[in-house]
Amino acid sequence: MENGSSTSKDPSGFLSEIIGAPVTVKLNSGIVYKGELQSVDGYMNIALEQCKEHVNGKPSRSFGDAFVRGNNVLYISADR
Amino acid sequence: MADIDDGPSTSVSEPLDLVRLCLDEVVFVKLRGDRELKGRLHAYDSHCNMVLGDVEETIYITEEDEEEQEITRTVKKQSEMLFVRGDSVVLISPQAPS
Amino acid sequence: MLFFSFFKTLVDHEVTVELKNEISLRGTLKSVDQYLNIKLDDVSVVEDVRWPHLSSTRNMFIRGSVVRYVHLPAAAVDTALLEDATRREAASAAAKAKQG
Repeated sequence: MENGSSTSKDPSGFLSEIIGAPVTVKLNSGIVYKGELQSVDGYMNIALEQCKEHVNGKPSRSFGDAFVRGNNVLYISADR
Repeated sequence: MADIDDGPSTSVSEPLDLVRLCLDEVVFVKLRGDRELKGRLHAYDSHCNMVLGDVEETIYITEEDEEEQEITRTVKKQSEMLFVRGDSVVLISPQAPS
Repeated sequence: MLFFSFFKTLVDHEVTVELKNEISLRGTLKSVDQYLNIKLDDVSVVEDVRWPHLSSTRNMFIRGSVVRYVHLPAAAVDTALLEDATRREAASAAAKAKQG
């Protein structure tokens, strides 16, 4: 089993692969946060750098760093 | 033996480390129910329960006026020391949003 | 465990518990448990005009999960001690995560 490689097929392997990459985090409320993924833990708590908030698809404000509590997360998507 | 591995106390290796680095600093907290807090972080745990000092709470209230237009008004409240239950927390940031 | 211990130091102090359904209850903190359920004595409802049905209740047991905030008397809180306890809790949580 090659874990952590680009062939890894489990979700946490995917998450550790995209650390440091630009990501989109969508919350259950519909609010979207875009930023560079600093870290994730087992609860899907997320730390983002250069975090930008988007409400109804429109950019609203930005944070230097942001911690997002995992229970609010709908998905994490790598931007490229 | 001395603990050589002092990595976890300074680096950001897991998300909550970001919050730990905010201890005794002013933080911005976004909560469920269109509420935001700004205050000095004195304590937190893994559930995101927190104690904040010198807190300003902002509540966003959306109403409909006579022409059914949605208008948002804000209510601000102050508190000298506040315990916040973690299950309401959405986001914690070391800086005020810009 | 940190906040359980913290609330135990606040027993017999006057606090205001704000619930997720907007009701605010002012009273004396009589006890707390590991779930942060709270027992309040000498309760008064902060906006009793809005919630008249609660005005006859003098003491109550509040389930921890319905609490949004607890407003505390700043004078009763040693913030330096709290910050040290928080760092210790964070370190032990990190050590546990490493082991597991």
